Amino acid sequence: MRSQFLFLFIGVVWGWSQPGGVSLRGAEAGPVDFSSDVMSVLSKAGCNQGTCHGNRSGKGGFKLSLRGQDPAFDYLALTRGPRGRRIDRVIPEKSLILLKPAAEVPHEGGRRFRAGDVSFEILRNWIRSGAPGPDSNSAKLERLEVSPGKKLEILVDPAAELQVRVHAVFSDGARRDVSELAVYEPVGDTVEVSSRGLIRRSSFGESTVLVRYLGRQQPVRVAFVPAGKGYEWRGPLEKNFIDQAIFGKLRRLRLNSSVICDDTVFLRRATLDLAGRLPTSDEARSFIEAERPGKRERKIDELLATAGFADFWALKWGDLLRNEEKVLDRKGVQVFQRWIRESIASGKPLDSFARELLTARGSTYRNPPANYLRANRDVLQRAENTAQVFLGVRLACAKCHNHPFERWTQDDYYGWAALFSRVRYKVFENKRRDGLDKNAFVGEQVVWVAREGELKDPRDGKRVAPLLLGAATGGPGEEDDPLEFLADWVTSRENPFFSRSLVNRIWFNLMGRGLVDPVDDFRATNPPSHPELLERLARELEEGGFKLRKVIRLIMNSNAYQLSSVPVDSNGKVEAGFARVLPRRLDAEQLVDGLAQVIGVSPSFNGYPRGIRAVQIPGTNAILPRYKKPSSADVFLKLFGKPDRMLTCECERMSQTHLAQAFHLVSGPMLHDMISSGDNRLGVLADSGLGEVELISELYWSALGRPPSEIETASARRLFSSAGGVRAALEDLVWALVNSKEFLLRR
Amino acid sequence: MNRKDRERLLLRGIPGACGDFETTGISRRSLLSVGGLGMLGLTLPGLLRAEETAASASPPVKAKSVIFLFQFGGPSHIDTFDMKPGAPAEIRGPHKPIKSVVPGLPVSEHLPRMAKQMDRICLVRSMHHTMKNHNSAAYYALTGHAPPRDDQRLRDSLSLYPAYGSVVDKVAPLKSELPTFVSYPHVISDGSVTPGQRASFLGKAHDPFFIAEDPNSKNFKLPELSLPAGLSFERLQRRREMQKLIDSQSRLLEYSASAKGLDDYYKKALSMLSSTRVRDAFDISRETEAVRERYGRHTYGQGCLLARRLVEAGVRFVTVYFDATIGGRSTTSGGWDTHGFDNTRMFPIIEKRHLPITEQTLPTLLDDLDDRGLLDDTLVVWMGEFGRTPKINANKSRDHWPQCYSALLAGGGVKGGYVHGASDSTGAYPSRDPVRPDDLAATVFQLMGIDPATEVYDTQDRPLVIAEGEAVTELIA
Repeated sequence: MRSQFLFLFIGVVWGWSQPGGVSLRGAEAGPVDFSSDVMSVLSKAGCNQGTCHGNRSGKGGFKLSLRGQDPAFDYLALTRGPRGRRIDRVIPEKSLILLKPAAEVPHEGGRRFRAGDVSFEILRNWIRSGAPGPDSNSAKLERLEVSPGKKLEILVDPAAELQVRVHAVFSDGARRDVSELAVYEPVGDTVEVSSRGLIRRSSFGESTVLVRYLGRQQPVRVAFVPAGKGYEWRGPLEKNFIDQAIFGKLRRLRLNSSVICDDTVFLRRATLDLAGRLPTSDEARSFIEAERPGKRERKIDELLATAGFADFWALKWGDLLRNEEKVLDRKGVQVFQRWIRESIASGKPLDSFARELLTARGSTYRNPPANYLRANRDVLQRAENTAQVFLGVRLACAKCHNHPFERWTQDDYYGWAALFSRVRYKVFENKRRDGLDKNAFVGEQVVWVAREGELKDPRDGKRVAPLLLGAATGGPGEEDDPLEFLADWVTSRENPFFSRSLVNRIWFNLMGRGLVDPVDDFRATNPPSHPELLERLARELEEGGFKLRKVIRLIMNSNAYQLSSVPVDSNGKVEAGFARVLPRRLDAEQLVDGLAQVIGVSPSFNGYPRGIRAVQIPGTNAILPRYKKPSSADVFLKLFGKPDRMLTCECERMSQTHLAQAFHLVSGPMLHDMISSGDNRLGVLADSGLGEVELISELYWSALGRPPSEIETASARRLFSSAGGVRAALEDLVWALVNSKEFLLRR
Repeated sequence: MNRKDRERLLLRGIPGACGDFETTGISRRSLLSVGGLGMLGLTLPGLLRAEETAASASPPVKAKSVIFLFQFGGPSHIDTFDMKPGAPAEIRGPHKPIKSVVPGLPVSEHLPRMAKQMDRICLVRSMHHTMKNHNSAAYYALTGHAPPRDDQRLRDSLSLYPAYGSVVDKVAPLKSELPTFVSYPHVISDGSVTPGQRASFLGKAHDPFFIAEDPNSKNFKLPELSLPAGLSFERLQRRREMQKLIDSQSRLLEYSASAKGLDDYYKKALSMLSSTRVRDAFDISRETEAVRERYGRHTYGQGCLLARRLVEAGVRFVTVYFDATIGGRSTTSGGWDTHGFDNTRMFPIIEKRHLPITEQTLPTLLDDLDDRGLLDDTLVVWMGEFGRTPKINANKSRDHWPQCYSALLAGGGVKGGYVHGASDSTGAYPSRDPVRPDDLAATVFQLMGIDPATEVYDTQDRPLVIAEGEAVTELIA
């Protein structure tokens, strides 16, 4: 009462100077419901965004629940805020929640709506009717009906706009047009969306607009394409269903794909992708000379059968499964890597692979897959990482608040986590060198599952019933082993994520970008670029017995995989769509191994005998830097993105380029020492008696898998005349070759 | 559930990385007393406007550069800038306070030159947090974000926050050949590398330009800016020409963004190798002997001098680590961690090592910056990861004390001769205006003209604010 009086008093001092009557356009005459009407306004006006009052610490002393996940909290915030200034029941127009967003008083967030807008009217009518709180009897939102639907909407120029319509269906059967109250968020910058859902093209291309209303979301996919007068498809033939999906979509977008890459590019690409290394000069020469029909297919089969394939794909799985020495110790890392490598080499079905990882227990030395659980020592870590690795689902957001872009709630999160709560470790001994390091384990451990051990919900301290992700009921029974129960579901066909996520990872490794991208972020609001293709690949995986090589063969034998990176027509402006191959930097290990192969010298890695290749290194730090200075090659690997394996995320392997990398290649110790080393291949070549032209040619074949062009030979020969002798010329030439973009990038 | 229950629930939060997500902290607004409005002669809209200005999106740039002098190991607040002469002997210690130029702001008798410069210092005596281990506490100090746990060997990972300088490099980078963020001459570690020294999830592109060399060494030079033996600049040019020719053959530079990006870095690296501006900035040998002596011919002293050179050249954030280790057991090496272990004793050690070095370097740096007109827009921060126990232990030394400690700021838009907050009579807890590292971080960003609420994205694409605290506006001049 006192505060209201004071507020009135201040109002008088201030003097009203606000516009008088406001129209009631769009506002409904009926009673205003807090949970649906007011909450939708808070979202619509953006008040509860993470950058505004939905921030964890609020903004300007006013905090709302993030994206309106908690109406009861927001009701308190609106009505019980400091001294009740936020709403004024006596003169509703003077409420701060109207004055601020209408920018009648200064508002850091700027003007969110104007007096007279639907949002304004709803809030005002709500205050006018006494600001009633959430009513548990009011109808609940059951679903959204969004038009256009889930299919990609393709609009050909001059069409440049698309109106989205949103209807909300409530539990009492009411169906209301909420197009003006839904929130529209474009992903990317090729379109703009008005607050009423009118999508406008800003540039040609495909994009997604997220439509959100009261915690429900749905994506609208739209592509604006140029009319392309006289457009005709000039891309390659469709060899399989992959080409049908990729090229079919390009045709609908009136784009052309690039041509098929040449043999040089194909061999280098395929060898890097499958064996993680460069083709040797001999391999390159004989592949170019080989009879054409079927030679690419034969090469793929050949590479799939090499030891290098198991090495390289084990490296990738080693990243995801956190195979690193601090927690697993050196022996554990070695046995785990050997097991992963063997699983790949022997063609173990991926569902069995996953099942063994999820359920293995016993000694981490004698039963290597138990290292997966050894590595993820905390119950929440096990839950989050398992969802990310095997299901491609990022749950972390839902730990602290309902996921802002997905249906995952905190209940889902803790229910899923409860499945992992009975995992225990028997640590026989811990011979860690640093007794104070609680994160370090050296010695055998036994992973086991206790009969008891429930997860307590940190929100209310109550026991959480274990549940499969997304399931409302039906956790494991009393007698069930929770990990077996979990593995049954993860690898079953009822699971909507497992095979899709696996084929998406394989696709990502070969095509440079997931069909769902980021590769481990499956959610309704991050739809795949080619939904049917993803489905089909998943089915192929399942029906083909979860064989990795089968899926790889399908993808690599498609013309889509074998496209050139050189753009044609306007496809150079489009990143997505797989219209051409996007060149990307080689992985750290590929680079070091490639340099070693071309220059003919083995770099040393801490803790390993000379001669081991970087892709074969099982862990991350065999010897900690504090006990032995890392070699220049160890430093190089880290600098170029070899992950520490602390996260179960592809993103930890950073593929960016940056200045320090350029310095390492220009003036850094590793490359310089390799090039100037006395007993490298350059020395052998210098003493071989070969002529300049042959020497130049040999280096080109080794580094780039192709002969030098005439102008390259001529320029390279000038190095021989200007530098101090053959050796120096070879050094300069090899430096230039391995620093060329053609060497550093996979194209 | 009634309202009280609900609020209690919300306030408790959930332990972990985003534990206090639902915590409704004490807000600036809720501290405003409505009853006092009339007395201040402010009307409500006027008051609101004043608030908005304080929190406007891009605050004015008061500190173009920051020199962060990190005192690893944890200096004792009670034996430096928060003396307690009135406390019992087992608390006040053997050192006596002396008067400084600022009335009521005594400092240790071992810091007489500092005493003459306290009018430049903005002293925060109410720093506090709860991390008792060096790595967790130092991570907190270097990033402004509470670590997920208090762990003696807190593991660095991309899920932890980046160093201040990396954030600056991400959100407000220099547009020149100079690096935005430089750090040296140690990678600090306590058993394992202390997190918070690099860019973490922002990506290695935002790592500091890190110098592992000793600036006090005769041969001090940067490996990056020097070519290996046997490689002349002319020869490098020849190689680069050949590289360019090969690049022109593949046409990659014409159509590949990755190729162009890579080539831009080659260009930048080569321009840095040949740029006199960059070279000169790092070339400490261009300083006169007298200046070098004044800073002290030791690694840290020359590091402070180098910081001045770098700031003069325009570098935005320089972090100088006092020592690579927590130390505390030697008069010739190591940081401030003086427990008295192994029959060592704190006071003789800090008398011989830590206090003299501080006394030599800090006033010299402030003088030098001021003489060159740099102090006004260079913020100097001097602090450790925590303070030390008020009660002297059985080894006549002091242990870790995060519950209350001091931080020194100077220049760059902060008040001089100003004390913010206070500790209680024994220096054990803040007695008023407590400041968390989160708040100090927000203050530093704000002084640099960076909105502390700026968001960056982690590896999961989650938006995270760069500083969760509230800027301590009282510190700002």
